[in-house]
Amino acid sequence: MDWYPLWNSLRIAAISSILVFFLGIFCAYYASKLPRLIKGILDVALTLPMVLPPTVCGYFLLLVFGVKRPVGQFLMQYGIKFVMTWYGGVLAASVVAFPLMYRTARGAFEAVDKNLGYSAQTLGRSNIWIFWRVRMPACRQGISAGCVLAFARALGEYGATSMLIGYTPGRTATISTTVYQLWRTNDEQGAMMWVMVNMAISAVVLLTVNLLEERQKKAVKS
Amino acid sequence: MKRLATILMTLTLLVTCAAAWAETTDLVVFAAASMTETLTQIKAAYEAEHPDVNITYNFDSSGTLKTQIQEGAECDLFISAGQKQMNQLDIAADPAVNKDGLDFVAEGSRINLLENKVTLVVPAGNEKGIESFDQLAEKLKAGDVLLAMGNSDVPVGQYTQKILAFYGLDEDALAKAGCLTYGTNVKEVTTQVAEGSVDAGVIYCTDAFSAGLTVVDAATKDMCGQVIYPVAVLKTAEHAEAAQAFLDYLQTEEAMKVFESVGFSPVAVKE
Repeated sequence: MDWYPLWNSLRIAAISSILVFFLGIFCAYYASKLPRLIKGILDVALTLPMVLPPTVCGYFLLLVFGVKRPVGQFLMQYGIKFVMTWYGGVLAASVVAFPLMYRTARGAFEAVDKNLGYSAQTLGRSNIWIFWRVRMPACRQGISAGCVLAFARALGEYGATSMLIGYTPGRTATISTTVYQLWRTNDEQGAMMWVMVNMAISAVVLLTVNLLEERQKKAVKS
Repeated sequence: MKRLATILMTLTLLVTCAAAWAETTDLVVFAAASMTETLTQIKAAYEAEHPDVNITYNFDSSGTLKTQIQEGAECDLFISAGQKQMNQLDIAADPAVNKDGLDFVAEGSRINLLENKVTLVVPAGNEKGIESFDQLAEKLKAGDVLLAMGNSDVPVGQYTQKILAFYGLDEDALAKAGCLTYGTNVKEVTTQVAEGSVDAGVIYCTDAFSAGLTVVDAATKDMCGQVIYPVAVLKTAEHAEAAQAFLDYLQTEEAMKVFESVGFSPVAVKE
């Protein structure tokens, strides 16, 4: 039993989630400060991967990072190849998961009480301190919801991943591409097994998130 | 404003009804992905000669198409890139291949239409310097190359498996070593080679021609057998006569010229 797809999927999802977490909250934070027109345009551009079909995203990624394309060739000089490698999967998953984090973070930031930030400023705290110690904790629920969504999306990414990194057993196979390949080659048992594994992971993640939320609520009450 | 909208909508409805009333036969053809360019050309010619026929194609790997037919997809004519997929739908075929006892092929309509060749292609530049199947086999043994092939459900993938076996290579071991990447149909493999994402790919000479890829070697009969494309009208066809008419047209010289222009060889030619 080849467990590589499990390890690969988790690795890709985890790294993408971390990348998207930081990128998402920083973009959301700075976007909320921009003038209306620019904010609108940026919003559309950054939310686009969520609305586009994954295959369209995959196609765009290939157009940009393909080995024969300008950006792809430039990166090849440094030995970085996003096509047919597992970290290409991180790129694909990050692109499609980013809007989820961005939108939820934007919503959370705009809903937070600005007076909290102002009070901290009057107390002489730096902007960075205010961001990490006042704003983020205040938006905790929204941010964590965004994280869960982003992780789930990254774990379940198929279309863009399949187009960018293909299916190389032992190198780029993820759970989603493996299930498709096993189904196509009439390995019903194998496909079913991976479906079960994926459901188990998802159940564990969701249960953990629920438990953490409950603990937080209890902490706030007491 | 509201009145204008209502009038426009009624007109649109009437026009679409009128279009539907005009008696066009919607012929559904499932064909192997490697026939995309040729059949599209043939459709234009056929529909010009038969304005009452409207052909809809579904191009994909023959294995995928066979599964779709099995699951009840609407289809009048099926052209497969390999005998195996057609046999799996034919009750008259060997029960060892047609394990599910499927009976989709209309009796007497099945013929062998075309012959194709399995070839080895490389991306522009050929960085790994692969010039033949022999060299490819050596590099695979050394774990030095990434080869794109169809998966075991795709006819060209099945031919590739035969070629690997011919060279005494263990497919599983190569896969584990990360030397093989699988595509779900021949066009996916072609695209991967064209994009330069892999070092080499095994596709048909017709796909290589249509995509403008460099062919470095062709597989012989010993390596993978003959590549024959069977075609048949399906028992579940809604327009069996139209399907048979189109099948007959595919065997004419006119159609064969189109097929030959990309590298197919005719097996069945009618006057």
